[in-house]
Amino acid sequence: MYRLSRLRFLFPIGLFVALFLDGSLSKVWASLFFSYPYNMVSHLVLLWLVLAYFFEGNIKIPLTWFAVAVGVICDLYYSGVWGLFIVLYPLIVWLTKTLARYFSDTFLNMILIFFVDLVVFELLNYWAYYVIGITHASLGDFLVDTLAPTLALNLVYFVLLYWPIQSMFTKALAERQHN
Amino acid sequence: MHKFFSNRRLVFIVVVLVLAFGLMGGSVALRKRRATPPLIQQFGNDVVGIANDIVAVPVNAVHNGLASFSDLLNTYSENRKLKQQVSDLAQVKVRDETLAHENKQLKKELKVNHTMTDYSTINAAVITRSPSSWQKQIIINKGQTSGVKKDMPVMSAGGLVGRVVEVNQTNSKVELLSDTSESANRFAIQLDGEGGKTINGIITGYDSETNELVMGQVTSKAKVKKGTKVTTSGLGGITPKGLYVGKVSRIGKDDYGLAQKIYIKPAADFNDVNIVTVPELNS
Repeated sequence: MYRLSRLRFLFPIGLFVALFLDGSLSKVWASLFFSYPYNMVSHLVLLWLVLAYFFEGNIKIPLTWFAVAVGVICDLYYSGVWGLFIVLYPLIVWLTKTLARYFSDTFLNMILIFFVDLVVFELLNYWAYYVIGITHASLGDFLVDTLAPTLALNLVYFVLLYWPIQSMFTKALAERQHN
Repeated sequence: MHKFFSNRRLVFIVVVLVLAFGLMGGSVALRKRRATPPLIQQFGNDVVGIANDIVAVPVNAVHNGLASFSDLLNTYSENRKLKQQVSDLAQVKVRDETLAHENKQLKKELKVNHTMTDYSTINAAVITRSPSSWQKQIIINKGQTSGVKKDMPVMSAGGLVGRVVEVNQTNSKVELLSDTSESANRFAIQLDGEGGKTINGIITGYDSETNELVMGQVTSKAKVKKGTKVTTSGLGGITPKGLYVGKVSRIGKDDYGLAQKIYIKPAADFNDVNIVTVPELNS
């Protein structure tokens, strides 16, 4: 029961902190993230959504709806182009759920699923922006200059934040059982 | 796999795809045409902008603290260098004031009221940056209420950094010159060629490999020296004249070998923009 658990505070707050940290880190570390010609895209929101799915236990967070909400904010506030992230975030939640069915919940499998999520997300993002003419980068440039650095950055995020986030979720879930 | 593309799901996927691309295409077109985004988007962005401060303010504070610490370490050598420049600067400033005064008097004499060099400025802080590799956008904390309008140029400490693309009530989006999309950043610029000839042109692109702005389709045959300063030309009527863009770094030929292509090292660092100035033409 999501409504009664402490996750109903932890999860949305974490989601919105992740959303704004994506922007703030991109600004503060811009010379690192966007050093010519490489582009690293910070995906803390994606990390939070995916890890929340893995750590939620038997509490079902309405992840898809949160993904839609966060997608709307990304569309309006960060990009100013509607209709992309509102579809992509729920799609990634669905993809994670689908993939997770075929793998056991180990650290390596989770990082693998996150890897696939990132590749799909970035690829669709590139393709959509290519179609509507926001970017004209070639596929090769995209793979080398954007996808590879982005994967590197976000897998580092994953390794660094896996245990802190896990302990946050376990704590939130444990205290519920005591009450 | 047979079940994966069942009828209902296929219809759902197609509808979502059509809707998504419709929205994307529509909003891109809308954004180019309209001076302000729809009210609902403005309202949403204003609310999100305020909420953003909860995270952005502490992060920026920490960053500024660390930056000022590293600045402190460089202070001594920097100070020695700067002292030499300061004495020159005082002279330049006085001369500048005298010329500006004279210019004003002469304009009065000729009954010219405002030209493209008369502008006032709006200062703003950068709240955040779009976490995207395709859109090089920053969000600044001034909007319509402070007089910011769409298509105004944006300056940072060093020089020109971009253009306002979307204005909300209390914040606005700025597209940086390093954005490579087709509709981005066509500033009219000029530089002095050899023999006092003025070369006019526009910024036609950005080379992300070398961090250079490209001034293409230059039909003038005048020779250009490396290191020549490039400024906005004021043609077009929105951007004031004389905003510093950068210095010429190399000169090449375009793809057909007919026109010159001038590469410009931008004066501003697009990855280190914290405070910006939005010049507004007086009219």
